[in-house]
Amino acid sequence: MFVLFGIDIIRFLVDLGTAYALYLAVSLTLNLEAGFSGVPNFGKVMFVAAGAAAAGSVSGRVAAIVLGINTHGDYNGFIATIIPSINTALTQNIVLSAELLLLGVLLAAVVGAVLGFVASFPAIRLREDYLGMLLLASAQLFQIFLGGYQPLIGASQGIEVPDVFAWTETGIGVRDVVVLVLVAAFAILVYLYVERVARSPLGRTLRAVRDNEVAARALGKDDAAVRRNVIIVASAISAVAGALLTFYVGAVNAETWTRITWTFWIWVMVIIGGAANNAGVALGAFSFTFLFKVVDQVKFYFQGYIPFDVNWLEYLMFASLLIIILAFRPGGILPEKSSATLPWSTIAQIVQSESKSIEVSSKPSNVPDQDKIEGTDRPG
Amino acid sequence: MLSSPSASPRWNRKLILVFVLLAIAIIFSLGVIVVYVVRPIIPPYLLDTVVYASLFGLMAMGLTLTYLTTKVPNFAYGSFVTIGIYTSFSLLRVNHISPYLSAPLAFVLGGVGSVAMYLGVLRVLARRGSSLVALMISTLAIDIGFIGIFGIYSDYLTSLYRIIDTKYFVALSATPGTDFTLLGRPGLLYVAPISLAAITAGLYLLLTKTRFGIAMRASVENPSLARILGIDVERTYVFAWWLAGGFAALSGSYYALWLPGGTSAGSNLIVEIFAASVLGGLASIYGAALGGLIVGASEILLTQEGAQLFGSWVQIYQKGVPLVLMVVTLLLFPQGLVSVGWKRVLVSAAQTFRRTKILLGRMIRSAGGK
Repeated sequence: MFVLFGIDIIRFLVDLGTAYALYLAVSLTLNLEAGFSGVPNFGKVMFVAAGAAAAGSVSGRVAAIVLGINTHGDYNGFIATIIPSINTALTQNIVLSAELLLLGVLLAAVVGAVLGFVASFPAIRLREDYLGMLLLASAQLFQIFLGGYQPLIGASQGIEVPDVFAWTETGIGVRDVVVLVLVAAFAILVYLYVERVARSPLGRTLRAVRDNEVAARALGKDDAAVRRNVIIVASAISAVAGALLTFYVGAVNAETWTRITWTFWIWVMVIIGGAANNAGVALGAFSFTFLFKVVDQVKFYFQGYIPFDVNWLEYLMFASLLIIILAFRPGGILPEKSSATLPWSTIAQIVQSESKSIEVSSKPSNVPDQDKIEGTDRPG
Repeated sequence: MLSSPSASPRWNRKLILVFVLLAIAIIFSLGVIVVYVVRPIIPPYLLDTVVYASLFGLMAMGLTLTYLTTKVPNFAYGSFVTIGIYTSFSLLRVNHISPYLSAPLAFVLGGVGSVAMYLGVLRVLARRGSSLVALMISTLAIDIGFIGIFGIYSDYLTSLYRIIDTKYFVALSATPGTDFTLLGRPGLLYVAPISLAAITAGLYLLLTKTRFGIAMRASVENPSLARILGIDVERTYVFAWWLAGGFAALSGSYYALWLPGGTSAGSNLIVEIFAASVLGGLASIYGAALGGLIVGASEILLTQEGAQLFGSWVQIYQKGVPLVLMVVTLLLFPQGLVSVGWKRVLVSAAQTFRRTKILLGRMIRSAGGK
């Protein structure tokens, strides 16, 4: 094993990679909402937690039914005996594992999308500051619900989740690598999707809606629908990330989902990296996750010298970092780039060639037509 | 001839609100005394309601003050409450000073923290042209920074004075002799509503009867015009922030006396304080006090009544009540209770009542005619 400064490097890298992939996916969706579309989602944690809770509570029940395990009519009450028997069955059954994983992920996506749809109603109507407050409050309300409603994920105690990666238990660390590959693939897909959206005409529409709602409306863009769709998609993806995290950890607990862990940290990533710039957010998420994990590894060495818990310093560090970035580099490390448009000469050429092919002689060919320029924005 | 402008209807409405608040406070205190004389068995949650509602009124007033001046929802406001909680906790545990005596110190410290946040972060960012969302996220960051500071402070207390329960402690009144008793009831039952009433009245006098208070109002209503008139707008804002932090810390020091506290006790309250403030309309200090009373009271009363009706599981969701109130307020009348035309509501209710009466009369008459 490679060991550096007393840290198992490979283990550290796998751990870092998994955390980074999940954080990256969620921060990219926040970037889509807050960066590109101007929806200040201060309730991000709600959507991630919803996915985790949905996947965590349903996958085990389904597995118990499929495998014919007696739940005594009280799944959460007998969870301590149900989950191990499910897991022993799953070590042999790779197909069922994959099905459970898929079921959890799909269910999370649906739940996330529905929650996003619900959240979009106020998001279309309220002003930024009111919306921020409302989402923050809703997330808190949701957390109270998760921590209080026993039948879902066992209230404050949390529940275990079937280990859908149990079939990998052939060597130490294989499971972690499999998870890493899965979440990395997910994060890459999300990145490609978000980047495609950002570069497409839709991305420019989003920015238009964010920067000037009235102008966007005047150009015929349905700003309400655009915002709603963005929130739905972003929430669904966040929920899938939550589900994947739940399957990785093998348990789900309401305490995990706090305003700090999955709202504030995500905002830190987006703002450090650069809002409305996906590469920037990827960089921001990496810087954050790397710092976080490194501090996690080395903080025990300092414990003897400082008369307080190092975790508190982490809070202070990231809070100050965020404020410093906001003050001195408000655009983040990689600020938003203006979207690349075609040069005027190319547009003129397109317009000319099109008008030639249509052979509409009534229009003056040297004046670029407003409709045509708008038309180049449309796909196909 | 120019006569001095009479008080505008808006300020009259505020005067009415002040009187309503005063009346509520007096009714609270009187009710407690009457109840004591009659001596029925009062369930303890009613006492909780009085204290809780008053504290939320105080907190919401401060939050609204910060919102009025900077127009940024201050998510770090809960931490000023924690400043008060820790001030009274450490002075009680280390120096054995009563929370009532340390409350003024808490007020000052909370104010200092609040002003430091305003001058050190918010104003700097605002002058650099930060967006509203950037300012909001910066207040969230400050809150988390504050939690870190409280954590460090509590560890420091532990290592220095061998106090173990610095991160999570029970209500300070659990230590015998911390709170005084009056007429057989804990002193905070009187002190909290009276403080709220006194502060509301004091604020009203400050804002309407003193030059500085009027300057404050002018700075809130129209900063540029106030500047033209030679008002030091910044000074009034700093003072407003100092007051806001002070109110929070004052209520925090009372809060610690009544309820358990810890490093993030105040931050956990922030959404409820917002609920109170939003219910009051976020633009009216007196509305905020009223909103705080409603939110604090309904939180306890609704859960207790709900628990009696539906079973004890309702109590788990106690903290959800203010949030539901807030969500409903934001969706139905985002400008708050103050914005609702109560006069019109009353008039239309009276009209409906009269119409129904006439209609009923006709129906009865026609039925009798047959």
